[in-house]
Formats: sequence, C-alpha cells, structure tokens
Amino acid sequence: MTRLRLGLTLLALMALAASVAPWAQQWLGTDPFAPDLFARYAEPSAEHPLGADELGRDLLLRLLYGARVSLGVGLAAALAASVLGTALGVLAAWKGGWVDAVLMRLADGLLALPALPILVLLAAMDPAKLGLPRGDAMVDMLRIVVILVVFGWVGVARLARAGALSLLATDYVRAARALGVTEARLLWRHVLPGLAAPVAVACALAVAGAILTESVLSFLGLGIQPPTPSWGNMLANAQEAVFAAPLAALWPGLAILIAIVGCALVADGVARRGQ
Amino acid sequence: MAGALNLLLWRLPQIALTLVLLSLAAWFAIGLMPGDPVSLAMISDPRLTPADIERLRALHGLDQPLIERYLAWAGGLLRGEFGYSRLFAQPVWRVLWPALLSTLALVGSAVLLAATLGVALGALAALRPRAAPLVDAVALLAQAVPAFWLGILLIILFAVNLGWLPAGGAPDAGQSALPFLVLPVVTIAFGQMAAYARHAAAALSAELSRPHITSARARGAGERRLIWRHALPNAAVPLLTLLALDAGSLVSGALVTETVFARPGMGKLLYDAVMGNDYNLALLALLLVALVTMLATLLADLAQRWIDPRLGER
Amino acid sequence: MRHLLAALLLLLPPLAATAQPSRDSLTIGLSQYPSNFHPNIENMAAKAYALGFALHPVTAYDAEWKQVCIACTRLPSLENGDATLETTPDGKPGIRVTWQLRQDWKWGDGTPVTAEDFRFAWEAGRAFETGFGPAEFYRSAYAFESGGPHSITLRFDKVTYDYAGLGQFQPLPARIERPIWEADKAGYRVRSAYETDTTNPALYNGPYRIAAVQPGAGVTLERNPHWSGPAPAFNRIQLRMVENSAALEAQLLSGQVDMIAGELGLPLEQATALQRRTGDRFRFHYNPGLTYEHIDLNLENPVLADRRVRQALLLAADRAQIVARLFGGRQEVAHGGIHPRDAGFDPAIPQYPFDPARARALLDEAGWKPGAGGIRRNADGEALAFDFMTTAGNRTREQVQQILAGMWKAVGAEARIRNEPPRVFFAETVSKRRYGGAAMFAWISSPESVPRTTLHSDEIATAARNWSGQNYTGYRDAEVDRLIEALPLELDAEKRLPLWSALQRRVATDLPALPLWHRSDAHVWPHWLEGVMPTGHQNYSSLWVTQWRVR
Repeated sequence: MTRLRLGLTLLALMALAASVAPWAQQWLGTDPFAPDLFARYAEPSAEHPLGADELGRDLLLRLLYGARVSLGVGLAAALAASVLGTALGVLAAWKGGWVDAVLMRLADGLLALPALPILVLLAAMDPAKLGLPRGDAMVDMLRIVVILVVFGWVGVARLARAGALSLLATDYVRAARALGVTEARLLWRHVLPGLAAPVAVACALAVAGAILTESVLSFLGLGIQPPTPSWGNMLANAQEAVFAAPLAALWPGLAILIAIVGCALVADGVARRGQ
Repeated sequence: MAGALNLLLWRLPQIALTLVLLSLAAWFAIGLMPGDPVSLAMISDPRLTPADIERLRALHGLDQPLIERYLAWAGGLLRGEFGYSRLFAQPVWRVLWPALLSTLALVGSAVLLAATLGVALGALAALRPRAAPLVDAVALLAQAVPAFWLGILLIILFAVNLGWLPAGGAPDAGQSALPFLVLPVVTIAFGQMAAYARHAAAALSAELSRPHITSARARGAGERRLIWRHALPNAAVPLLTLLALDAGSLVSGALVTETVFARPGMGKLLYDAVMGNDYNLALLALLLVALVTMLATLLADLAQRWIDPRLGER
Repeated sequence: MRHLLAALLLLLPPLAATAQPSRDSLTIGLSQYPSNFHPNIENMAAKAYALGFALHPVTAYDAEWKQVCIACTRLPSLENGDATLETTPDGKPGIRVTWQLRQDWKWGDGTPVTAEDFRFAWEAGRAFETGFGPAEFYRSAYAFESGGPHSITLRFDKVTYDYAGLGQFQPLPARIERPIWEADKAGYRVRSAYETDTTNPALYNGPYRIAAVQPGAGVTLERNPHWSGPAPAFNRIQLRMVENSAALEAQLLSGQVDMIAGELGLPLEQATALQRRTGDRFRFHYNPGLTYEHIDLNLENPVLADRRVRQALLLAADRAQIVARLFGGRQEVAHGGIHPRDAGFDPAIPQYPFDPARARALLDEAGWKPGAGGIRRNADGEALAFDFMTTAGNRTREQVQQILAGMWKAVGAEARIRNEPPRVFFAETVSKRRYGGAAMFAWISSPESVPRTTLHSDEIATAARNWSGQNYTGYRDAEVDRLIEALPLELDAEKRLPLWSALQRRVATDLPALPLWHRSDAHVWPHWLEGVMPTGHQNYSSLWVTQWRVR
C-alpha cells in the first residue's frame, strides 16, 4: 500500500511541477525558449536555480516544461497501448482459432521486428500531408506516441490474453454462459474486471518504458524536435557536452529517474494489492 | 515429448510465414521511405548529370516497381544468392556475420550477467525479507537509468578518470577482447537486471509459500536445498519467458550501447543500413534478428515444457 | 545518489598516467568509417582520408590551396608546352594535356605505376556498365594517349582553367584489376580487389598500404616497403572510427587514440570546450576549411521571394555573436560561398553585419508591419513565417537553428523549426526542393571551384532533370549564368578576378542563400607530433604523411 501511495505521490508532484511551469517562468522572469548566448552552461544562481543549458536557457524551467512533454507522451502512449492491447488480447482469447493465431503471430512479428525502420519512416512523414500543422510540438508528440503504441500494445495483449483465457475457463464463467448471459456482458462484467490489476501494472510500467524510449529516440535524433524541451532531448543534448558541463546532463537524468521510480512503485503497489 | 514435437510442427511453419510477411513489410517500408540510393549519391556528388542518374537508376534496378524488385530479391534469396551490401561493397554475409557474432557476444554476456545478478538479488529478497527493500531500491534504480547515459558515466569513470578499461572500440588483432566487453556488458546488464530481480523475487516467494515447500521445510529440509531443488526450477519458467521476450529487443536495442562504445555490431549495422538505404543488408539483418528472436521464443517455450510438463497445449 | 557520486567523480583530475608508448605507431580517431575502398567509385570523406596514406593522386591542392604535382614531375601548362589548345574532332574547342609521371612510383608489390594503369582506370570510368558515379570527367576526356610508360596524355572536349589537375582520377593496378573488370563489368564495383582483397599490397602506391580492416571499427596501415619517397615516421598507423563525438572525446582522454583528425573530428564547439578544460595536454589547431554552412531559401516561397526579406533576415542574424559564443571565435563569418582564402574572393562585396534596425526598416518597406504576438503581417493579414529545416540529430546545427529563430523572432519573423533525419532531409526534402522555407546545411567545395551546380539556373533541380543539380533555392539570374559560364573558360587568372567579383557581388545582393560561416576543422594532436599540415579542402592532410614527425 505504501508503495502505491509513494509512487502516486512522486508522480503527482511531477505533474504538479509540470502544471506550474508558466507561473515559475513568471516568477523567475526568464524565457526558457529564448537562447541567451551569454549564459551558456551557466552555473546555478538566483536567476538560474539549476543553471542553464547549452543555449543559456534556464534548466529548471525547461525541466518543468519538459515534464509536460515527457509525462504527456508517456501517459498517452501507455494508456493507448493498454486499451488497444487489452482489447486485442481479450479478442484473441475469446475468439480463439485463426483470430487468435493471426493476432499472436502479429505480436510475435512485432516483438521480433527491430523498431528502427518504422521509426525512420514515421520520422520522415510529412505531417502536412495528413492535414496536420508542421513544426508543431503536438504533432511531434503524436508521432512518438504512435510509434510507442505500435510496439507497446503487444506486451499488454499477451498479458490480457493469458488472463482472459484463464478467466474464461473458470467454472464461474462457464456457469454464467450456461445461464444465458450474453457474451458482451460476460466479457464486460466478468473478464475485464479480472484483468484490471495486471493491465494496470503493465500500464504503469509502460509509462516508464515510454519515457525511457523517448530519451533513446532523442539520442538517435528521432525524438521530440527542438525547440520543444523534453527530458529525453535535454539529456541527449547534454550528453554531447558531458565532459564540459556534467550538471546539464545530471538534472534531466534525475528527472527521468524519479519519474520511472514513481511508475515502478505504482506498478509494484498495484501488483501487491492484487495479491 | 509428443507435445514438444507438435509444438515444433505447429510453430516452425508459422515462423517461416512470419519471416516472409516481415520481409515483404520491411521491403515496402524501406522502399517507401524517401530517398533511394541514387538520391543519396546525388547529394554527395554535384557533378552527376540527369543522364548519370538515369544510368545509375537502371544499374541498381531502381526503375522497376517495388514488388518486382522484391520478387527478384526473394528469388535470389531462395537460390542462395544473398547479394551485396551497397554501402560496404561486400557480400552481405561478410558484413553481417562478424556483426552478429559481436552483438551476440555482447548481448549474451549481458543477459547471462543480468540473469545471474538478478536471480541472486531476487533470491536474496525472497529469503531475507529484511534485504528486500534494498533489493527493490537497486532494481528500481537499475531500470530507471537510460542506457546511453549510464554508458557515458561508466566511460568517464572507468576509462577516462581511472584508466582501468578501454573507453570503447574493438580490440586490434592480437588484443584480448575481454576488456572491451566489460563496460558495454555492464551497461546493458544493469538495466536488464531489474526485471530478473523482480520476477525472481516474486516467483521465489510465491514458490516458497506453496504447500510442498512448507511441508518439505517441516520435514527439516535445508533452506539451500529448498531453493535449489524445489523453488528455483519452478520459478525459472517466467524467467525463461522474460529471456526469450528480450532477445529481439536486446539485439536491436544494442544499437545505443554500440553507438556509445563505438562497437561494431548488428544494432549499429541495421541503423546504418536503413539510414543508407542498403536494401540487401537492412533486409537480411532485419530477418536475421527476427529469426533469432522467434527461435529464442520457441526455445523458451520448449524449455518451459521440459521443466514443467504440466503446461498443456498452447 | 549515483548521479551525484558520478558528478563528483567527474570533477576528479584524470589519472591520465598512460604509459609512454613506443612512438613507432600512431592511432588516429575519426568520426566516420570508410565503407568501401575503391578510389574512383563514390566520394566519401573517410575514404579519402584513409586512402590519402595509401594512394597518391597525380596532382592535388596543397595547404596553400595551389595545384601541385604529387606523382608527376611538373604541372602541365600552356607555357611549358605540356598543354596545348586544339579543336576536337567535332569542332569544339578542346585541350590536350600531358602529365609526366615520377619514374620511381611503384605499387606495393614493387611493380611500377605506368600509363597502362591509367589507361585501364580511364577505360573503366568511361564504360557505361561500370557504374562509376561522376561520369563528367570521363565523358569530357574523350581520348587517352601514352608516349611511354611514364607519360599520359588526355584530350578533353572542353577547356577550363583547372586543366592541369587530374582531381579524383587515380591509376588502378591494371595487372590486377583489368581481368576482374573484363570478366564482369557490371559487377566490378563489388568484385574489385579493393573490396575483395583489400589488404593486397599491390593495390597501393603511397607511403603506406592497408594491412588490416576491422569493419565498422578501424583500418590498420603499414609502411609500403616499395615506397621510394621520403620515409614516413611511423611503422604503423591505426585509424579508429568512433561516430559518437562524446565517445571519441573519451577515447582521446583515455589515451586510446593519440590524435583526432580535424577533417572528420569533433564538432568545433566541443573541441573548444575540450581545449578550455584540458589546458595544454593536447595541441589544438583550428584550420579554416572549404565547408560552407549556409541556409538555402526557397525562392518559390512568397515570403522569401522578396529580396528585402532575405536581406533583413541576414541583417537580423548576429552571426558574429554566434561564432564568438558558440565556436569560441574559432571560425569566420562567411560573406558568401567563396572562401576568403580562395583566389577569387573579393573582400569588397556587400556584407551584412548585425543591424536589427535596418532589418526592421527593410521589413517595413517590404510591407510586413508589426502584428499580434510580435509576428509581422502583410496587408493581406498573412504572417511573416516560414519553415526552417535542418538535419535532425546534428546538435550544432540544431543549436544554431534555435538561436537564429530567436534572433528572427526579435524582428518579427517566425521561423518554424521542422527537422528530419539526414537521409530524408538530403535525399528527398532538399534535393527535390520540398523544403518550404529555409534549409540549413553545408556545401563542401574545392579551391577555385566555380559554383555552377548551386547557382546556375540550368542546375535548378526539377523532376524533368531527374532532380539533378544542386540549385535548390530556384535562383535564376541571367547575369549570374553568364558569369558562371565565362569563368571556367578564362585561362588567365588575372582576368578571372573581375568575373569572380561580379559574381560574388550579384549573389551577395540577391542572397538566394544566407551565408553563415566557413567551418573550421578542429585538429587535436599530441605534443610529440609535428608536421601535420591541414589543408582545409578535399586533399586531406593524410596525403602529406611523410612530413609528419615525432618530436
């Protein structure tokens, strides 16, 4: 129980920090989006509590704004992957037969498929062709979310399928069926609730995974594009100058670490509660 | 055993079919990506004339539709002609083979280290409840650190400041490969360790509370014997699944570690092949990684059955 | 906690007590791997650097950017009679040029380099099926003649002032390569001994030969026993390829590499930071080079089609400040595509020092009035905004891009950043002119090179031309076309100067592309190494390895 509470507290604090970014900006009076060449890698000071980055922008404020992107991407990707994964997993378990075979082989294929070509493909897509504005941070985030969901639903689906299979095989469900309960109601009332705990665990871990993956994508130059800050691209940018300014890499690394610890604690807490 | 044979008969064709579909999907994915090999040549050479470009397109067969090129490629593959890498001007196998070996050495050692450390930590947590929070904390930390960041920290610490180990690269002829393996292996293993520790701890404590263990304990069996003979084999099933699921992502995920440590390997090769539009190389590398993963999954399934024959069909 | 600990450890002084190694070998760090080794197929910086140790061209540009003989005895000229103007069989003005080769020039197996090796290289290049990339040289050199084993003559169907140079055209060992080529011309590219038998000494004619190759990781060079020129200082040169620049820096600091080649080394801002931190542990040399960073503006974009807007953008960009702050003042602001060290450079061309007031005035004049949100709008209410693209993952460019966007915003222009991976950016977006507004990248050129492919209106990339040509801005100017056509034909260097001036003035006024800077290469050497002469162009310092010395 305490784990769950601790994890939720950590995440809530981060979400809170993300939401106060504009006020923090007003209070500090610096613009985290405007480069200031005189403050490159500035040491922590009253003006820049955590120092400044490679373009002299305030690290604290960029971390706060970055939290919106990183947490947002993580949450959106994890939720979408969980919903999709649960739906497909339950479908596979319920239908069985060729539906099951096709879905699971698709899952195998995706697990086996190195994500890279698809990442590059998506990175190369012109959002304008889809009627989306260019150079918009939202579109960038959406792209990363899509990538993460394409590869993220598989794990959830396997979990959900295994869970649903064993639930569907219980005497209880059989009895309900015999009593003439409709299939939809059966899935909705008896199978899905039973899957809530494992899926919640997977979802919490997926948030963590998404935040990490976003940083790796940034490292490869395929992540959230500048000037929008995300923890991932802040860390990736700082690693290049890690010898000159280790502090600039320390903070985003720490933020990622805390967020993931928070997610893992939530996952752990839910899992224990389930037992 | 009949079950195992059935499984093989059922799964091997599936694997083959998945590979075929995968190759088709990947062929189109790479083919539809902007920039064919000739566009890339154009950029590096301003003196190419329109006629040159036409000539090069024809030479590379790029004037044919995608599907026909795929059929030609697949036909060659069936005849055992794997073709040449465009980027490296070498037969594909000559490029792929050393990279695969290097990556398997890296990932293999890393998984071994991660599983050993993870299971040890998990066992510690399961047996000594007082140590559990510490193990938890280590596992939490391990999974929370981005690999490239950890790699760079390790380089700074052990290669630059302490000078104990090489900062990366590959050994020259006659040099021992071992020192070059240490930091990258630790980088990958550290992150992987967390999952093993958690699963081992969970599985072990679940096993340890089961009736047959409690009764064995009541009969006075030693703790060590309990763990080794009774609990671990049963706990191994989920761990094996984990291992198999990780195989593919590990091989392609080695990219980051290979980049940070400037180690030639599959991850890097695949990335360069995709980025450089080297069809033959990218496709075969992709299929190879996919094959390795699916075989690993299959092996894990077989091993699970062998350990726990109770696992029924599917 | 781990982070804090690590951060503390970062501050520790490095032990750096790497044992004094024997100085008969040198390890060089590079940021790119030469993916293939054939000298005449494809151009690639890493290959040029590695082969510079092992293969000598006939002529090259030296560190003073003058054409010199490397493997010939004298540079052909009209004056000394080695070059003569003539008329081609189909009546065009042509030139016939003869190079006398060094008699003692040998392949690594002891056989001399002869005219036959050149004849083969020329034949292979001219053959359609061989698939050499740039065919223009081979097309133009329509006849090959030889007056003995150490003399070659080529006849060209056009006359240009740089006729004395043979450029990238190098001899190939005909004894080995000709049978391979004749057996399978289309497959020659992959069947050449340079790819199948890379360590064969008979393939190399420079001071070193390639002795071992570790794919993706390194190339080992050893002395060529049959080299007859001055002996190089090292028995072995090891090239190590490390793409990630932080990892490259780490290998330098840990003593795994002795030096970093400036031609393919650390980003400038990383090198200057390294120098600040390491003090005098290494020797740093910043060499101005012919890599021209600039921003191509898409002239089809209605916003950027107005010359006043383009000029205003350049005036509003404080390039001097960026150079001073980001690059430690180690490279110079460019005023155009022609490098200040180049013979044709004219210092009197229009320049655009930072002047936001004039930028605002120009924008006002062009009809862009200050509007809501600080972004200017025209009479139709359209915003002064355009896409600004560059290569994703190139941190230097991404930094510059954000700084420039900030500076432009200050005068009311909005640059929307949209980046793509290099492969997509170059092979599709830029080369097919699909970048909507501005595209930042670099051109690599050679000394005294006429910017025909980037500025002539015939070189505008279109579907009809298979997207060849590098005039990506869509710049079209009859006078510029005329100058570009006249320049190569003028053989008198003095008389070329006014043409160069006129060309630069015209382009600097029209600004189809915004000049940023000519990149400097950051060379990092150990103190015990002397004599490395960076050139700043495509004939890299490795060509002059025999001058490298241990102190």
